[in-house]
Amino acid sequence: MEGRFAEELYAESLQLSKLELTSTSADDQENKANVCDGDDLSLWDESDDKLESSSDLDREWQRRHDQFHTIGYRDGLIAGKEAAAQEGFNFGFKQSVLDGHSWGVVRGVTSAFSHLPHQLKERLIETQKKRNELLGLYESVHSLSTTDCLRLFSEEIKAQEALEQSEHSEVSHHTAGLQEQPSHGSELRNYREQLESLIRDSPAIDIHLPKPK
Amino acid sequence: MDDLFDSSLNLEDTHYKEGYDEGYSHGLVTGKEEARQVGLKVGFEVGEELGFYRGCVEIWTSAIRLDPTCFSPRAKTFICQMEELIQKYPLMDPENAQVQEIMDSLRLKFKMACSSLHVKLEYNGYPKSSTEVNDIQF
Repeated sequence: MEGRFAEELYAESLQLSKLELTSTSADDQENKANVCDGDDLSLWDESDDKLESSSDLDREWQRRHDQFHTIGYRDGLIAGKEAAAQEGFNFGFKQSVLDGHSWGVVRGVTSAFSHLPHQLKERLIETQKKRNELLGLYESVHSLSTTDCLRLFSEEIKAQEALEQSEHSEVSHHTAGLQEQPSHGSELRNYREQLESLIRDSPAIDIHLPKPK
Repeated sequence: MDDLFDSSLNLEDTHYKEGYDEGYSHGLVTGKEEARQVGLKVGFEVGEELGFYRGCVEIWTSAIRLDPTCFSPRAKTFICQMEELIQKYPLMDPENAQVQEIMDSLRLKFKMACSSLHVKLEYNGYPKSSTEVNDIQF
């Protein structure tokens, strides 16, 4: 009888103790869940809100800016080029037309002379030596195409512009003067000078070769 | 709602104008240099061709001065006409509306003069190959 009661008493106590533990554990879990949910929500809300207000809006503004700025730039570039085209062309044209003309006269004189009847050649240039020189000059000049001449002229222009730039940057006039003296003897200029020399010695040919500049 | 759209459109106009102004100023610089390159090529070519005709005319007139009977009256006429066209050509005025017409006339008179003189002269500088010339950079 006593033994049985003791068993009953202990069993009941043990059971109560278990229930308490379970209840506490459940409460703890619930609390954690709440805290976790709350944090997640607030974090999510905040981060989402920030993304929406700063990154997205900035990206949208930048996208629109780039789009319209690019379209405007392209239109402006075309308009600017059109506005400058005539002025630029005229400037370049005037830089080269007299040189081209001077060279063309050399071409024309040497070509026309080489195709004259022999007796006229003899009367225009009396010495055989000088006639041969002029005909030799014709061969040299004739062998250059306009493309060749443009290339030679282009090199001349570049050299001249490079010289002008170095002059501007030069402090000493003396040095600049020295640099100027050995002026680039261009091929075209040499041929023109040869022709000038031949014509000077032949009074029958009354030609005034135009100076390039 | 209208205010919102107005604001948006104004912003777009601002972006566009900003880009346009930037592009325009770049276009002035690059456009002028590109056009100058073209002008240099064309100027040299035009000058050379005109100079060629002038050189021919001067040799021919020197010959006529020595011997007035050396060329036929027909040839002399063409040579005179060439001389007039050469003097008429506005060499330093590339925008002149007459330049193409005068050059075309010159080319024609030159061919007729050569025919009358029985010479096979030709101006070799005609820009026959544009791709070649385009390679040249000043």
